[in-house]
Amino acid sequence: MTSMLRIATATLALLAAATVAHAADPVVIGLEIPLSPPGDPTAGQLIRRGGELAIEYINGPMGGVLGDRKAALAVQDSQGRTESGIAAYRRLVSEDHAVAVTGFFHSSVNLAANEVAKELGVPTMATQASASDITGKHYDVAFRTHVIDPVRVSAWLDFIKAKNFKRVAILAETTDYGIGLAEETEKQSKQQKLAVEFMTVTFDHGSTDLTPLLLQVKAFRPDLLVNIGVGQPMDLMVEQAATLGITPQTPMLVSYDAPIRPQFWQLHPKTGAGLYFIAYYSPKQKLSDAGEWFAKAYEEKYKESPVYSSLNGFGDVLIIAQAVNQAKSTDPKAVIKALETGTFKSWTSSPVTFPRADGVFFHNWSPPVLILQYTAANQDWKEASVIVEHAGSAP
Amino acid sequence: MAALLETRELTKRFGGLVATGGVDLSIEPGEIRGLIGPNGAGKTTLVNLIAGLYPPDAGDIRLDGQSLVGLRPHAIARRGLVRSFQVGRLFGNMSVRENLLLPYLAQSGGSDAGAAQVRAARFLDLTRLGALADAPAKTLSGGQRALLQVVAGFMAPGLKCYVLDEPFAGINPTIKDAIIDLIEQENQASRITFIIVSHEMAIVRRLCRRVTVMVEGRIAAEGTLDEVAARGDVLAAYLGRGWT
Amino acid sequence: MFTTELFVQTLIAGVVIGVLYALMALGITFIYSIVKMINWSMGEFYMIGGYLQYLLIVEWLGTDLWWVAAPLSAFGVFLLGYLLEPLLIKPMFTTAVERKDDYAIVVTIALLLMLRNLAAALGGPYQRTPGSNLPTVMLGPLPESGARLAAFLCALAAIALFYLLLKKTWLGLALRAAAQSRIGAQTAGVDVFRLDQVAFGIGVGLAGLAGALLAPVFMVFPTSGVVTTVKGFEIIVIGGLGSIPGALVAGVLLGVVESLGASFISAPYQNVYGFLLVVLVLLVRPTGLFGERTRQA
Repeated sequence: MTSMLRIATATLALLAAATVAHAADPVVIGLEIPLSPPGDPTAGQLIRRGGELAIEYINGPMGGVLGDRKAALAVQDSQGRTESGIAAYRRLVSEDHAVAVTGFFHSSVNLAANEVAKELGVPTMATQASASDITGKHYDVAFRTHVIDPVRVSAWLDFIKAKNFKRVAILAETTDYGIGLAEETEKQSKQQKLAVEFMTVTFDHGSTDLTPLLLQVKAFRPDLLVNIGVGQPMDLMVEQAATLGITPQTPMLVSYDAPIRPQFWQLHPKTGAGLYFIAYYSPKQKLSDAGEWFAKAYEEKYKESPVYSSLNGFGDVLIIAQAVNQAKSTDPKAVIKALETGTFKSWTSSPVTFPRADGVFFHNWSPPVLILQYTAANQDWKEASVIVEHAGSAP
Repeated sequence: MAALLETRELTKRFGGLVATGGVDLSIEPGEIRGLIGPNGAGKTTLVNLIAGLYPPDAGDIRLDGQSLVGLRPHAIARRGLVRSFQVGRLFGNMSVRENLLLPYLAQSGGSDAGAAQVRAARFLDLTRLGALADAPAKTLSGGQRALLQVVAGFMAPGLKCYVLDEPFAGINPTIKDAIIDLIEQENQASRITFIIVSHEMAIVRRLCRRVTVMVEGRIAAEGTLDEVAARGDVLAAYLGRGWT
Repeated sequence: MFTTELFVQTLIAGVVIGVLYALMALGITFIYSIVKMINWSMGEFYMIGGYLQYLLIVEWLGTDLWWVAAPLSAFGVFLLGYLLEPLLIKPMFTTAVERKDDYAIVVTIALLLMLRNLAAALGGPYQRTPGSNLPTVMLGPLPESGARLAAFLCALAAIALFYLLLKKTWLGLALRAAAQSRIGAQTAGVDVFRLDQVAFGIGVGLAGLAGALLAPVFMVFPTSGVVTTVKGFEIIVIGGLGSIPGALVAGVLLGVVESLGASFISAPYQNVYGFLLVVLVLLVRPTGLFGERTRQA
């Protein structure tokens, strides 16, 4: 009898210890980002900076998660490839026990991970991946805090209308991102019955020479060239279009915010002036208190102003922590419910919600879209002219 | 007189087969030694061992008193021991002249190109291949290629000992005579030592004062051709395996 | 859209890129002809050539002395190959390695991964460029970037010099001999192991030169070698393994086919046209346009 009692006490003690230990376990938020080519590692690094500072904010000023637990970040490299992306998501869920996975930059990676997320149930949140199907498929697990194709395209159609361009050449890479934007542009221009002639050319993301296509584009005599390449092809196009004499006489619009990165002027010292590009943040925007905290901390740590990728990376991790708090649980289903029904603070002054809206606006929150222009060589992006400012979320 | 080339207890096994077993060979400087024996006796293996194509399992090989064991073929060639192949190893896409220049330049380390050209010209003359000097070696007839292969060996500066593996196999009499003349000439003029593996007894008789008979990896007899031909056991070995 | 001017422009562009591809392929085919193995890490030596060029220009020489930096970068890569060969490749010949081809594949792929990750670790994943101040030049009707044209001309010069090396020097004689008969060359007194080292060094040096010349054109980053390796191998198959004129002709052919196909048929399939050409050659002439079956020495 006494030995039985001893065993029972020992077992209870162990269980208690285990529970206590478990209670002290941090709440893990997964970050799936490109850290090596063929993905865009600069984007990944910037998003990571945001995520790391978010953890500091959550564990500091925000006071932790679910009472006294700390938040922790688990990072995996998607390499910008679907196979690696799927593996990374699985690792974050099964090994790191992430309560949600965010950080997605490449659309193809996000789409692939969402298929797995459907089975495993741990929600995903796109930080900078813009293909429609990410939220367009209405998966319960999929969320996004980024500009979606319709909003981006709507912004550049506004630009085209404002400048009265009649002939527009679109060069898109054959990825989900590129094709998605090209198709959306066609669709919206038809809906709006625009009097614009489009020439759409697609190219392989790994192309080493865009000269043949650019020669055809030059022969088309466009008023605007839309550069829908990501990473190397985007840079190649900026240079080759200049060599062939298309730019700067014909303006070029870059479809995402790569020109704000510090390396941009190193790569394009002679060809960057006059370039139009999409951006999602301008220092003239008002930030939330968390956003202000972040901007200050970022400047101190990195000696640079924060950029959109970092801001949104920060915001996403913060939103997830808030959702866990609102759900009072780390159970994925509860977190999903909280995300759908709650209101969250991110880096902008407007609150964030993820309603079950129609079409691609399902579970989506969009920051405003800007079109900026560099008016001089080596210009700081914060000084670039703001040409278009287009509202974010659902119209 | 000290031997130029010696092997002592030279042994090579391939799996379970003893290709050469404890071969003791001694070649005097200036000799033309014949190496004969039935097929599969180990003659080519012996030549390959001497030329450094593969290492022996046991035994030693010495050229001018210095061991050759462990040296790579190119180093052995530079010491003055050159061999020709049964199946000609010519550089078909290189010209005849280039085939001749290579052994000289390889062993002189690329220097002395002038001397190399002079020497090549001399041999082109001797062999009457001069007209084909710039033609690719692969365009030569079979006999001419055999001749070229033999001649290329003579190009080595500092050549001391030339091992020829079946140089006369399947070539016409005119070329055979040319090769024989060349061997005799270089032997007399420059005291080059020769080891000649061959089945052509008439030629062996003419060229070689002494022959070594190998049977089943071992030396069965040594002496003049008539001496060894008279030995019953040698005949039996040959007849048992058949003449070629 | 098809016009004569467009056709000529596209053709010229194809020839320019083709010669640059050929420089890559030359290194691969040359190493194969001597060392009898395929170096799968060729692209990584191209990438290192790019990084060396970037460092030399940015840290020391400045953009305008690119033509001084390029041979230096190429030499640096040569040295790297020369030093790596005895460690990694030579054991294939000196120790009793079974299945040499498998060994070569494993070793060179391991080298590929190691170099790529080393570059990413040391330099970061970012794209860099040494920049170029060369002006745009008109090649007939085609405006061509100065840097690309310079790379094209230097590549032609390098190929010519390489050809002279092979045909006119004693080293070239030894290399040609070893390519045709390894044992024959050894027996003639050529130290084939030292030659392997030199040949490997020269082969990767050619790739390094291509990388240095193209650094301002295609930019420098850890995986910049990937595409060039693929092109290099396509060219080998088309031109014939071990054939130097084959590498040049096939390179130009590939460049032109890709260029014309992308312009006049369909752009996104640019790389596919090259593969179709490869398949065609394999069906019609499996040893390549200039290839011949060399006897194993």
